[in-house]
Amino acid sequence: MDQEFQIEERAGTAPPVIAVSGEIDVATAPQLRECLHRVIAQGDSTIVLDLLGVTFLDSTALGVLVGALKRCREVGGDLHVVVADPRIVKIFEITGLTNVFTIADSLQAAGAS
Amino acid sequence: MTDRADQLVTGDRIELRFPARGDLIVLARLVTSAISARAGFDIEELEDLRLAVGELCLLTLHGSDERYGDLCLELTVLGDAIGVVCTLERAAATDVPAPEGDEIARLSEQILDALVDEHGRESQDGSVRAWLRKCRGGHAG
Repeated sequence: MDQEFQIEERAGTAPPVIAVSGEIDVATAPQLRECLHRVIAQGDSTIVLDLLGVTFLDSTALGVLVGALKRCREVGGDLHVVVADPRIVKIFEITGLTNVFTIADSLQAAGAS
Repeated sequence: MTDRADQLVTGDRIELRFPARGDLIVLARLVTSAISARAGFDIEELEDLRLAVGELCLLTLHGSDERYGDLCLELTVLGDAIGVVCTLERAAATDVPAPEGDEIARLSEQILDALVDEHGRESQDGSVRAWLRKCRGGHAG
Protein backbone atom coordinates (compact mmCIF):
# COMPACT_ATOMS: atom_id res chain seq x y z
CA MET A 1 0.00 0.00 0.00
CA ASP A 2 1.34 3.43 -0.90
CA GLN A 3 2.05 5.89 1.85
CA GLU A 4 -0.65 8.51 2.36
CA PHE A 5 0.10 11.99 1.00
CA GLN A 6 1.11 14.43 3.73
CA ILE A 7 2.66 17.90 3.93
CA GLU A 8 4.45 19.11 7.03
CA GLU A 9 5.73 22.64 7.53
CA ARG A 10 8.58 22.44 10.02
CA ALA A 11 8.60 25.47 12.27
CA GLY A 12 11.73 27.21 13.47
CA THR A 13 14.07 26.30 10.67
CA ALA A 14 15.97 28.68 8.45
CA PRO A 15 15.32 28.44 5.59
CA PRO A 16 11.85 26.98 6.16
CA VAL A 17 11.47 23.26 5.44
CA ILE A 18 8.38 21.78 3.82
CA ALA A 19 8.38 17.99 4.05
CA VAL A 20 6.20 15.95 1.72
CA SER A 21 5.49 12.22 1.85
CA GLY A 22 3.44 9.82 -0.23
CA GLU A 23 2.44 10.29 -3.87
CA ILE A 24 2.46 13.74 -5.52
CA ASP A 25 0.25 13.60 -8.59
CA VAL A 26 -2.57 15.50 -10.25
CA ALA A 27 -4.80 14.77 -7.26
CA THR A 28 -2.41 15.95 -4.54
CA ALA A 29 -0.19 18.51 -6.30
CA PRO A 30 -2.70 21.37 -5.76
CA GLN A 31 -2.21 21.03 -1.98
CA LEU A 32 1.55 21.34 -2.45
CA ARG A 33 1.10 24.35 -4.77
CA GLU A 34 -1.08 26.09 -2.18
CA CYS A 35 1.42 25.39 0.61
CA LEU A 36 4.44 26.62 -1.38
CA HIS A 37 2.68 29.77 -2.58
CA ARG A 38 1.51 30.57 0.94
CA VAL A 39 5.01 30.21 2.41
CA ILE A 40 6.49 32.38 -0.35
CA ALA A 41 3.74 34.98 0.18
CA GLN A 42 4.65 35.09 3.88
CA GLY A 43 8.05 36.43 2.88
CA ASP A 44 10.24 33.35 2.76
CA SER A 45 12.08 33.60 -0.55
CA THR A 46 14.18 30.46 -0.07
CA ILE A 47 12.56 27.15 0.83
CA VAL A 48 13.90 23.65 1.40
CA LEU A 49 11.49 21.08 0.00
CA ASP A 50 12.07 17.70 1.63
CA LEU A 51 10.92 14.97 -0.77
CA LEU A 52 12.70 12.11 1.06
CA GLY A 53 9.33 10.52 1.91
CA VAL A 54 7.87 10.82 -1.59
CA THR A 55 7.08 7.48 -3.25
CA PHE A 56 5.76 8.76 -6.59
CA LEU A 57 5.93 12.01 -8.50
CA ASP A 58 4.52 12.95 -11.90
CA SER A 59 4.67 15.89 -14.33
CA THR A 60 1.94 17.72 -12.42
CA ALA A 61 4.15 17.73 -9.33
CA LEU A 62 7.15 18.88 -11.37
CA GLY A 63 5.04 21.66 -12.87
CA VAL A 64 4.15 22.86 -9.37
CA LEU A 65 7.82 22.80 -8.35
CA VAL A 66 8.88 24.75 -11.46
CA GLY A 67 6.17 27.34 -10.78
CA ALA A 68 7.27 27.69 -7.16
CA LEU A 69 10.92 27.97 -8.19
CA LYS A 70 10.06 30.88 -10.52
CA ARG A 71 8.22 32.63 -7.67
CA CYS A 72 11.16 32.12 -5.30
CA ARG A 73 13.64 33.48 -7.82
CA GLU A 74 11.44 36.48 -8.62
CA VAL A 75 11.92 37.58 -5.00
CA GLY A 76 15.62 36.76 -4.90
CA GLY A 77 15.41 33.31 -3.35
CA ASP A 78 15.61 29.68 -4.37
CA LEU A 79 13.85 26.35 -3.97
CA HIS A 80 16.17 23.61 -2.69
CA VAL A 81 14.91 20.10 -3.35
CA VAL A 82 15.97 17.18 -1.15
CA VAL A 83 15.58 13.84 -2.87
CA ALA A 84 17.39 10.51 -2.48
CA ASP A 85 15.16 7.75 -3.92
CA PRO A 86 16.74 6.78 -7.27
CA ARG A 87 13.29 6.45 -8.87
CA ILE A 88 12.44 10.04 -7.94
CA VAL A 89 15.90 11.35 -8.89
CA LYS A 90 15.48 9.65 -12.29
CA ILE A 91 12.34 11.73 -13.01
CA PHE A 92 14.27 14.95 -12.35
CA GLU A 93 17.09 13.69 -14.57
CA ILE A 94 14.99 12.69 -17.58
CA THR A 95 13.17 16.03 -17.56
CA GLY A 96 16.43 17.97 -17.31
CA LEU A 97 15.39 19.50 -14.00
CA THR A 98 18.59 18.48 -12.23
CA ASN A 99 20.07 21.45 -14.11
CA VAL A 100 17.28 23.77 -12.97
CA PHE A 101 16.83 23.00 -9.28
CA THR A 102 19.36 23.00 -6.49
CA ILE A 103 19.11 19.32 -5.56
CA ALA A 104 20.59 17.71 -2.44
CA ASP A 105 20.39 14.20 -1.04
CA SER A 106 19.99 15.26 2.60
CA LEU A 107 18.54 18.12 4.58
CA GLN A 108 22.00 18.95 5.85
CA ALA A 109 23.36 19.18 2.32
CA ALA A 110 20.43 21.44 1.40
CA GLY A 111 21.44 23.88 4.11
CA ALA A 112 18.50 23.29 6.43
CA SER A 113 19.37 23.96 10.04
CA MET B 1 -7.15 -15.33 -21.81
CA THR B 2 -4.28 -17.65 -20.96
CA ASP B 3 -4.16 -21.09 -19.38
CA ARG B 4 -2.21 -19.67 -16.43
CA ALA B 5 -4.23 -17.28 -14.32
CA ASP B 6 -1.18 -15.27 -13.21
CA GLN B 7 0.30 -14.61 -16.66
CA LEU B 8 -0.67 -12.65 -19.72
CA VAL B 9 0.51 -13.47 -23.24
CA THR B 10 0.39 -11.99 -26.71
CA GLY B 11 -3.05 -10.80 -27.65
CA ASP B 12 -4.40 -10.51 -24.12
CA ARG B 13 -6.18 -7.17 -23.75
CA ILE B 14 -7.50 -5.37 -20.70
CA GLU B 15 -9.82 -2.38 -20.75
CA LEU B 16 -10.46 0.16 -18.02
CA ARG B 17 -13.03 2.94 -18.34
CA PHE B 18 -13.59 5.70 -15.81
CA PRO B 19 -14.86 9.30 -15.64
CA ALA B 20 -12.25 11.62 -17.16
CA ARG B 21 -11.05 13.11 -13.89
CA GLY B 22 -7.42 13.61 -13.00
CA ASP B 23 -7.85 12.27 -9.48
CA LEU B 24 -8.87 8.89 -10.94
CA ILE B 25 -5.67 8.47 -12.99
CA VAL B 26 -4.33 6.55 -10.01
CA LEU B 27 -6.62 3.72 -11.18
CA ALA B 28 -4.81 3.60 -14.53
CA ARG B 29 -1.46 3.43 -12.73
CA LEU B 30 -2.62 0.60 -10.47
CA VAL B 31 -3.96 -1.47 -13.36
CA THR B 32 -0.78 -0.85 -15.36
CA SER B 33 1.37 -2.16 -12.51
CA ALA B 34 -0.67 -5.33 -12.24
CA ILE B 35 -0.76 -5.95 -16.00
CA SER B 36 2.95 -5.22 -16.48
CA ALA B 37 3.93 -7.69 -13.77
CA ARG B 38 1.75 -10.40 -15.30
CA ALA B 39 3.25 -9.69 -18.74
CA GLY B 40 6.78 -10.36 -17.49
CA PHE B 41 8.16 -6.83 -17.09
CA ASP B 42 10.76 -6.43 -14.34
CA ILE B 43 10.29 -4.06 -11.42
CA GLU B 44 12.16 -1.14 -13.02
CA GLU B 45 10.25 -1.48 -16.28
CA LEU B 46 7.03 -1.79 -14.31
CA GLU B 47 7.73 1.47 -12.48
CA ASP B 48 8.56 3.15 -15.80
CA LEU B 49 5.28 1.94 -17.31
CA ARG B 50 3.29 3.04 -14.26
CA LEU B 51 4.68 6.57 -14.57
CA ALA B 52 4.37 6.59 -18.37
CA VAL B 53 0.72 5.54 -18.38
CA GLY B 54 -0.09 8.24 -15.83
CA GLU B 55 1.57 10.77 -18.14
CA LEU B 56 -0.32 9.36 -21.12
CA CYS B 57 -3.60 9.94 -19.27
CA LEU B 58 -2.53 13.49 -18.34
CA LEU B 59 -1.66 14.24 -21.97
CA THR B 60 -5.00 12.86 -23.09
CA LEU B 61 -6.82 15.11 -20.61
CA HIS B 62 -4.67 18.17 -21.37
CA GLY B 63 -6.89 21.12 -22.29
CA SER B 64 -10.15 19.27 -21.70
CA ASP B 65 -12.96 19.97 -19.27
CA GLU B 66 -12.98 17.29 -16.57
CA ARG B 67 -16.75 17.58 -16.20
CA TYR B 68 -17.25 15.76 -19.49
CA GLY B 69 -16.29 12.46 -21.00
CA ASP B 70 -14.85 9.11 -20.09
CA LEU B 71 -11.27 7.96 -20.21
CA CYS B 72 -10.81 4.52 -21.75
CA LEU B 73 -7.52 2.72 -21.24
CA GLU B 74 -6.67 -0.35 -23.34
CA LEU B 75 -3.58 -2.39 -22.50
CA THR B 76 -2.56 -5.08 -24.96
CA VAL B 77 0.27 -7.59 -24.63
CA LEU B 78 2.21 -7.60 -27.92
CA GLY B 79 4.94 -10.22 -27.72
CA ASP B 80 7.78 -8.61 -25.77
CA ALA B 81 5.94 -5.31 -25.56
CA ILE B 82 2.86 -3.70 -24.07
CA GLY B 83 0.75 -1.33 -26.10
CA VAL B 84 -1.41 1.18 -24.27
CA VAL B 85 -4.09 3.34 -25.87
CA CYS B 86 -5.81 6.04 -23.87
CA THR B 87 -8.93 7.58 -25.39
CA LEU B 88 -10.96 10.50 -24.14
CA GLU B 89 -14.45 10.25 -25.55
CA ARG B 90 -16.90 13.17 -25.70
CA ALA B 91 -14.10 15.62 -24.90
CA ALA B 92 -14.90 19.29 -24.33
CA ALA B 93 -12.31 22.07 -24.25
CA THR B 94 -11.91 23.75 -20.87
CA ASP B 95 -12.50 27.47 -20.35
CA VAL B 96 -10.14 27.48 -17.37
CA PRO B 97 -6.65 26.22 -18.24
CA ALA B 98 -4.95 24.28 -15.45
CA PRO B 99 -2.13 26.10 -13.63
CA GLU B 100 1.20 25.30 -15.31
CA GLY B 101 -0.80 23.28 -17.89
CA ASP B 102 1.50 23.80 -20.88
CA GLU B 103 4.61 23.24 -18.73
CA ILE B 104 3.11 19.98 -17.43
CA ALA B 105 2.30 18.80 -20.97
CA ARG B 106 5.90 19.52 -22.02
CA LEU B 107 7.20 17.56 -19.03
CA SER B 108 4.84 14.67 -19.84
CA GLU B 109 6.25 14.52 -23.37
CA GLN B 110 9.81 14.48 -22.00
CA ILE B 111 9.00 11.67 -19.57
CA LEU B 112 7.38 9.60 -22.30
CA ASP B 113 10.30 10.24 -24.67
CA ALA B 114 12.65 8.82 -22.03
CA LEU B 115 10.62 5.87 -20.74
CA VAL B 116 8.84 4.26 -23.69
CA ASP B 117 9.79 3.12 -27.15
CA GLU B 118 7.02 4.93 -29.04
CA HIS B 119 4.23 7.32 -28.17
CA GLY B 120 1.85 9.73 -29.86
CA ARG B 121 -1.30 11.82 -29.48
CA GLU B 122 -4.05 12.82 -31.89
CA SER B 123 -7.46 14.45 -31.63
CA GLN B 124 -10.34 14.07 -34.01
CA ASP B 125 -14.09 14.63 -33.99
CA GLY B 126 -14.36 15.44 -30.29
CA SER B 127 -12.19 12.62 -29.02
CA VAL B 128 -8.53 12.55 -28.02
CA ARG B 129 -6.37 9.47 -28.40
CA ALA B 130 -2.87 8.99 -26.98
CA TRP B 131 -0.85 5.81 -27.20
CA LEU B 132 2.46 4.24 -26.21
CA ARG B 133 4.41 1.06 -26.70
CA LYS B 134 7.11 -0.21 -24.38
CA CYS B 135 9.27 -3.27 -24.95
CA ARG B 136 10.66 -5.60 -22.29
CA GLY B 137 14.40 -5.16 -21.96
CA GLY B 138 14.27 -2.34 -24.51
CA HIS B 139 16.37 0.76 -24.77
CA ALA B 140 13.83 3.15 -23.28
CA GLY B 141 14.10 4.00 -19.61
